[in-house]
Amino acid sequence: MSLPEISWIAIVPEIVLSVGAAAVLLVEVQWKPAPRVLGAIAAGSVVAAIASSVIQWLLAGDAREFERLGELIKFSGLIVMDGLAVFGRIALLAVTGFGLLAGWRYIEGLGRRAAEATALILVATAGFSIMVAANNLVMTFLGLEVGSISLYVLAGMSRERARSDEAAIKYFLLGSFASAIFIYGVALIYAGTGEFEVIAIQSYLDGFVLFSPGVILIGLGLVIVGLGFKVSAAPFHSWAPDVYQGAPAGVVGYMAAVAKVAGFVAIVRILLTGAGALEADWTPIVAAIAALSMLLGSVLALVQSDVRRMLAYSGVAHAGFIMTGVVGASTESVLFYLAIYSLQLLGAFAVVAAVSGADNAESDLDAYRGLARRSPLLAGSFAVLLLGMAGLPVTSGFVAKFGVFSDAWSGGHEWLVIVAVVASVIAFAFYLRIIVVMYMQESDATTVVVPGTIRWVLAAAVVTTIIWGVLPGSLLDLAADALPL
Amino acid sequence: MLTWLILLPVVGACVVGLLPRQRRELQLPLGIALSVLPLALAGYVFFVFEPVPGYQFTEHHVWYEPWGIAWSLGVDGISMPMVALTTVLVPIALAASTAITDRTKEFVVNTLLLEAGMIGVFLSLDLFLFFVFFEAILIPMYFIIGIWGSERRVYAALKFFIYTAFGSALMLAGIIALAVTHGEQTGAVSFAISDLMTLELGQSAERWLFAAFALAFAIKVPLFPVHTWLPDAHTEAPTAGSVLLAGVLLKLGTYGLLRFNLSLFPEASVDAVWIMAILAVIGIVYGAAVAIVQRDLKRLVAYSSVSHLGFIVLGTFALTSGSLQGAVIQNVNHGLTTGGLFLIVGMIYERRHTKLIAELGGLQKSMPMLAGFFLFMTFASIGLPGLNGFVGEFLVLIGSFTTLPVPTIVAASGVILAAIYLLWAYERVFTGLPETEENRLLPDLSAREVSLLAPLAALVLVLGLYPNVLLDKIAPSTEALLDHVVASTDYQVPVPGRLGDVFVAGGDEG
Repeated sequence: MSLPEISWIAIVPEIVLSVGAAAVLLVEVQWKPAPRVLGAIAAGSVVAAIASSVIQWLLAGDAREFERLGELIKFSGLIVMDGLAVFGRIALLAVTGFGLLAGWRYIEGLGRRAAEATALILVATAGFSIMVAANNLVMTFLGLEVGSISLYVLAGMSRERARSDEAAIKYFLLGSFASAIFIYGVALIYAGTGEFEVIAIQSYLDGFVLFSPGVILIGLGLVIVGLGFKVSAAPFHSWAPDVYQGAPAGVVGYMAAVAKVAGFVAIVRILLTGAGALEADWTPIVAAIAALSMLLGSVLALVQSDVRRMLAYSGVAHAGFIMTGVVGASTESVLFYLAIYSLQLLGAFAVVAAVSGADNAESDLDAYRGLARRSPLLAGSFAVLLLGMAGLPVTSGFVAKFGVFSDAWSGGHEWLVIVAVVASVIAFAFYLRIIVVMYMQESDATTVVVPGTIRWVLAAAVVTTIIWGVLPGSLLDLAADALPL
Repeated sequence: MLTWLILLPVVGACVVGLLPRQRRELQLPLGIALSVLPLALAGYVFFVFEPVPGYQFTEHHVWYEPWGIAWSLGVDGISMPMVALTTVLVPIALAASTAITDRTKEFVVNTLLLEAGMIGVFLSLDLFLFFVFFEAILIPMYFIIGIWGSERRVYAALKFFIYTAFGSALMLAGIIALAVTHGEQTGAVSFAISDLMTLELGQSAERWLFAAFALAFAIKVPLFPVHTWLPDAHTEAPTAGSVLLAGVLLKLGTYGLLRFNLSLFPEASVDAVWIMAILAVIGIVYGAAVAIVQRDLKRLVAYSSVSHLGFIVLGTFALTSGSLQGAVIQNVNHGLTTGGLFLIVGMIYERRHTKLIAELGGLQKSMPMLAGFFLFMTFASIGLPGLNGFVGEFLVLIGSFTTLPVPTIVAASGVILAAIYLLWAYERVFTGLPETEENRLLPDLSAREVSLLAPLAALVLVLGLYPNVLLDKIAPSTEALLDHVVASTDYQVPVPGRLGDVFVAGGDEG
């Protein structure tokens, strides 16, 4: 009996993360060490995963160069190791690393439950990492569920807060509903094409002229709905504000960012690669979701008085902007946007975590009053990140928006670009509102204590926001190389 | 060379930003000293600048190849005066800010970054780069108004930001459309102005794009009816903010119309002449009429800007040699005179803590020198012969008359209205006897304040007596622009409308 060849290299990052998660739990059970030790184990596994992903990136580049693309299909087509997968994976791992740093004060504060939270974060990342690399839609679903279920639990970690429970229940109920819709969509696609694998679906759709693609289209529609939920695109966004507000401030940034990255990479893979031939059919739906998300997200963010809810609605708007890039059929601009936005989002929530304090207080806008005088560096970093998310020039946000807009325009979706620029002006208003509160109002509240770990996250987020705003070429080149098979 | 013109203020901002907190007293002086460096460099550029058409001192560095964007800089006769004006006004505006004692460091940093952005806008030869600077300027200006302004500063700052951002957002769509069209027609995406000038746009596309750009610039100018942000922003901004807002930021609009609308969309520009002229004339008369009834001196000067900028737009779209030159030089003139007026209003406010005309009166007795400078700037603003305002307005009016006689006649009434509102304001504020104790005991200008106003006054006089210092350098570029418009449309400049026909422009050629 001969065993099938196993290409370990394709799943080393996930193995490392899972081993890390298991080690965290076992070490906790056996030795009950200080949380710091658990953090070191987690950090070590994230770094090892990043290192192995970089090797994957080089292998994927070689394979493309020498036109041996077949080599990138691993595990009999279950997963692939193409540029898209590896780029998404590295983005996820970076988010995880910084997310652990940003949330460390919270995790440490959990005491004996710190190991659970740490392990959950590692497992969630492993799941989403499989999701971005999945070629088989069932595999996508498995990754999605491993990741999502971990996030549901994370959302409810602060048991003493009623809001946290509410957030977890809401997230779980709506999230499992969305997962069910997704898997039903996958079933319909299978019914229509007889294939689960994205590459096989692609060649099926390229090879046949379908007279009645109804079933496939309904399947695609359901898949879009399911993933649209995960990336909090309107009208599937209603969970986001409550979850962002209720979940522990320390890990919200991580939760929001990984779900967006993994969801959008899956959308890109399924729509642009798998169903590329049906572009004319799905584009109107995605464009409508994009327009609705941008407008609804920006307008509703205007009327929020809680910074976390504001960031949630701004996340809805950003989902719309990224969808605009999907409509423009450009992986490059979508990936660039995802990379810079996930870092900015993490940074913004790191600020929220710092201001909310170790006791995880509410994040009412009033808490930010006069922050510029109390903690100038914290306020300055937040201002840069907000301006970056608003997409003002000299920040990476501008380059990202410019990228998706010009791709959508050259794809012939001029109206969507006009909606997008109008929405971004509306969005300026609420980003500026936070800046007004920080810089133009006074308060006698005390200085905010910023833990050292959060400082690192903020420094990284601010520096990349400006560097990739002034010299976007380095990241754009990488994003341009991150092609799907 | 030009890169340094942009980078020097940025470096200056970093240096001031890194000053230790204990050395508060150094922040403003160091900022002023550092802002003199770009002035020196701009002065060098000014004197070396050759009076020939086309861009000089050009620099070109590819920024990101696949997108066709480049760090591409250059000056010509249209942008060079604006760069010089910017570098002159920034040190003066900073030096006038001794009243700012709260968060001085941030103020200086913002002002220097603002300067870098403004210079960048005028130097950019690449639309992407232009847009980056054009939009980036909003951030420091937003902070300057919002943090150091007066009572309703937050409202004014937000209104300023959203108005301008809305205009530029549609322009961004227009810029993308142009670059994509260039990609379709030639196979390579490009944002270079010189490349985009050669595009074959259809009539309707050209009109839409013209509208998108014109809206952005009209809001900036501001043209009637999108001017409503201006009185608030000007009135609430601190003195330095008002000076730079009126002196330079508004000129981004008129500069944009000249540089981009006329050269990128000549046919649509020719078709839109009447719309733009009518809006300009409405602005001239309306701005002046509203200025007459203002009770707040700063607001009065703000509305006078609406009126004066109308002349520049009229001159831009009248499309004759004289009107274009007039428009360019009037950009500079308005920056000097209105900048001066805002400085003086700020000095009154620092002493008396009011800007209401009714509470002032008879200030001539206590502050003869301040009154003298105010009257001098008023005369320049009205267009008294021998001072700079006369040169610009006369060129605009005489140049516009050949192509747009009726609007020009109506616009000329704006000169008279300007005399009414400014001289009447002078009468109410400065003449007579001071009625209240506060007004009687105000100290006159200090040596520092005189040294702020004197350079402006000197430039007003020089440009009034010998405008050819500037006009000689402006004329070749405006002629080239006019040639471009004539060559790409069926528009003919009527006689006398070209340089050779008009006696004022070329001096002895006529």
